[in-house]
Amino acid sequence: MTHQIIDEKKLIAQEKLNNPSLMRTIWREIKNDKMALGSLILFTIIVLTAYLSPLFIDQTALTRVNFLNVWKPPSLDNWLGTDDGGRDVFGQLMIGTRNSLTIGVCVTVLSGLFGLTYGLISGYYGGTVDNVLMRILEFLMVLPSLMFIIVFVVIVPNYNVVTFILIMSAFAWFGKARLIRSKAISERERDYINASKTLGTPGWKIMFFEMFPNLSSLVIVNMTLTLANNIGLETGLSFLGFGLPAGTPSLGTLISFATNPDIVKNKWWAWLPAALLILVMMLCINYIGQAVKRASDARQRLA
Amino acid sequence: MSLLKVNDLKVHYPIRGGFFRRVVDHVRAVDGISFELQPGETYGLVGESGCGKTTSGRAIIGLNKVTSGELLFEGKDLSSMGRVERRKYTRDIQMIFQDPYSSLNVRKNVLNIIAEPLRNFERLSPKEELLRVQELVARVGLSPESIYKYPHQFSGGQRQRIGIARALTLNPKLIIADEPVSALDVSVQAQVLNFMQEIQDEFNLTYLFISHDLGIIQHMCDRIGIMYRGRFVEEGTADEIYSNPQHVYTKRLIAAIPEMNPEKRFEKMHLRQAINQEYQTDYNNYFDKDGRMFDLKKISDTHSVAMQ
Amino acid sequence: MFKFILRRSLIMIPQLILLSLIIFMLAKAMPGDAVTGAFQGNPDATPEQIEKIREKFGLNDPWYVQYGRWIGKAVQGDFGMSYMHQQPVTNLLGGRVENTVLLSLFTLVVTYLIAIPLGIVAGRWTDTWADKMIVTYNYFAFATPLFVFALLMLYVFAFVLGWFPSGGSVDIRTEVGTWDYVVDKAKHLFLPVMSSALLATYGTVQYLRNDIIDQKINDYVKTARAKGVPEGKVYTRHILRNSLLPIAAFLGYEITGLISGSVFIEWIYSYPGLGQLFIQSINLRDFTVVTALVMISGAAVIIGTMLSDIILSIVDPRIRIE
Repeated sequence: MTHQIIDEKKLIAQEKLNNPSLMRTIWREIKNDKMALGSLILFTIIVLTAYLSPLFIDQTALTRVNFLNVWKPPSLDNWLGTDDGGRDVFGQLMIGTRNSLTIGVCVTVLSGLFGLTYGLISGYYGGTVDNVLMRILEFLMVLPSLMFIIVFVVIVPNYNVVTFILIMSAFAWFGKARLIRSKAISERERDYINASKTLGTPGWKIMFFEMFPNLSSLVIVNMTLTLANNIGLETGLSFLGFGLPAGTPSLGTLISFATNPDIVKNKWWAWLPAALLILVMMLCINYIGQAVKRASDARQRLA
Repeated sequence: MSLLKVNDLKVHYPIRGGFFRRVVDHVRAVDGISFELQPGETYGLVGESGCGKTTSGRAIIGLNKVTSGELLFEGKDLSSMGRVERRKYTRDIQMIFQDPYSSLNVRKNVLNIIAEPLRNFERLSPKEELLRVQELVARVGLSPESIYKYPHQFSGGQRQRIGIARALTLNPKLIIADEPVSALDVSVQAQVLNFMQEIQDEFNLTYLFISHDLGIIQHMCDRIGIMYRGRFVEEGTADEIYSNPQHVYTKRLIAAIPEMNPEKRFEKMHLRQAINQEYQTDYNNYFDKDGRMFDLKKISDTHSVAMQ
Repeated sequence: MFKFILRRSLIMIPQLILLSLIIFMLAKAMPGDAVTGAFQGNPDATPEQIEKIREKFGLNDPWYVQYGRWIGKAVQGDFGMSYMHQQPVTNLLGGRVENTVLLSLFTLVVTYLIAIPLGIVAGRWTDTWADKMIVTYNYFAFATPLFVFALLMLYVFAFVLGWFPSGGSVDIRTEVGTWDYVVDKAKHLFLPVMSSALLATYGTVQYLRNDIIDQKINDYVKTARAKGVPEGKVYTRHILRNSLLPIAAFLGYEITGLISGSVFIEWIYSYPGLGQLFIQSINLRDFTVVTALVMISGAAVIIGTMLSDIILSIVDPRIRIE
């Protein structure tokens, strides 16, 4: 018996080697693209610094207003100077990056789950269900989302980070649902779906355990690319003043200093680093996303 | 008692048209067919592509919606059952699909593919499940190590064997085989067919065998139903159909089987011309004024023809 | 064909009704109504007075009566009174509509002026250095968030280099109708237009490049080459004719992007358009204006999408089948 178990483990390992998982393929693709590899390393450094920064930065000090230290240009004490309340910009940059990333990831995952479910249901059932769901989606897609998000942010009672994430997610899943539906509708014609039906597998199980794995590469590619989008949207909203509630700094909050011409021109250290950091993060995520996209499509692979 | 009795089965699809997309007409994919399956036999459903044979098979197993008619399985009507009740019969009726490339989920290994029905209907420990799957895999002639492999690592014939193993997992009484070998190389077709005959005795199976290949049908089936445009043209034992076809459509089909013996070629050609002649002169005997077939009429105990 | 256009136009009606209903519900959920507006600066109003005003404005009617009245007026261009400015919303919109339309129009024109040549070059001469440059540029255009880019442009060209004004739509000292006025207006428009246009090229360049690459290997192109059509003409007469037509159709779809873009761009360049008004009004909690703006933008997107769908169906008959 022991012999058989060892044998099986070896078998499983062998087949894993013969059938590289998507993650492995992605890694191979990234390794072979210098820009993507560089992006991944840079992005990892940014993420690690942002998330580990609370270990080195005194967060309460960041919120304390110090009028003796207002608008100090970069120095050894304050690497990126201070803002209108004398608070350290570098520290805020790190906390802001962390918040923006967290929210971006949350929105991407939430809207991804919702879009996935909606698209799978629409595509799997087809017919009338699909028809109704698609008419609804068409309508949602023509709404001016940005304006609606802003209106909701303003009128929602007890506004906080969670409600902000929910509002953003509520408007971020439309494209994903349509993409997944279009793929699911072609997938449902394939016999393995019919086979599962005849084997007595319930509909939800077929959707998530039979159909979904065949769409997973599409979903991963789409999630990577929309992560960048969502971070952009969150910082944009925070920049306009409709993002994170006061007291929770985001990269957008720092950039919103730039609505004052004097600050734009003479106090660049307050907003420029945040703007550049966003730019760098977007480029990194997109480079990684492109590599992931190539990995998911055997014809485009470089490796 | 017959295992399955199909009574005036109809599957219609609406055609929508006009500005408001109203239903203007129906495609009569299956338009009133009736037949019976006796336990242990192989019943062949033959016809040209688009004649409704696959639709009939899919309607019986529940993949297509039945417009009207009865599907009596062991005396119980499947078509009028709710989902929950119908699920009880899932174990008894299984299907083998035409295309072994699309009927296996490429993201699952053989173990997960074959264990899928077990997980739906039986509570087994992983070890028991593994043993069952290994047993089945061995029975369909694949090596036991292959259970961790993925579908793309197998040939078409092997994939179809995996499909058969999956259909056998629940010990069904009836298996609907929808063109089970037409996607395979001719060299492996015979292998798979013979294997299907072997397991028929072993597992006490009844087959509903759907095919357009008259040679295969003759080889496999006890009784045969010929379909054309959603209706039955002729039904009888294999012998009756092949040696004594009555309906002109059946005659044309049988005459179209290529003749291997060169000496008989001319004979065959004359036969075809004669049948064609008959088709033109006696058309009204076989088709009504709308070009629809008549209802089946018994000409012997086992043999019926759609003639006036 | 006609049937498709008619059906597609009819879909628009429930969409518009649904949109207006949602906006009406939102407006109801927003704090403040005509009563708050009427009693501004008069906190001593008695409940009886308030009740009287409520009755007068019809706020005690069932919601569908209120909705009917609101939508009836909106269709005629009457969006009610702004509480903050104490004047009809329509007056507020006045000159701003013009400014935003001007900005959007120029953005579109410049986007296509940049994108179409780039797309053609990249598609025709694939894998040359020019193509690689264009692909890289396009990659940046896709990844860069609009507001970050607009701010950087503002910082560099308006503040550091001082080549362009940093905000507004025109210098008030110039006289309407003079040449100086036009030049000054153009100067004010340049940065906002370039900021959005340089990023908005992404979709068109990507589409054109891919489409031309796909068309190149089509049999009809091979036939044209085989019968000796010069290479330049293969493109102008055959490939581009097929590739460029759908771009005309995408125009309507661009409206969605232009509207959210205008919110950022007008805010950053303090350009007096609808986007800026939207942010200002929402900051002042002036919800009649907000409601009107959302309604107008929503209707614009719905109509734009419909036009695009129809144009696309004329250009590409395959779409009509569904």
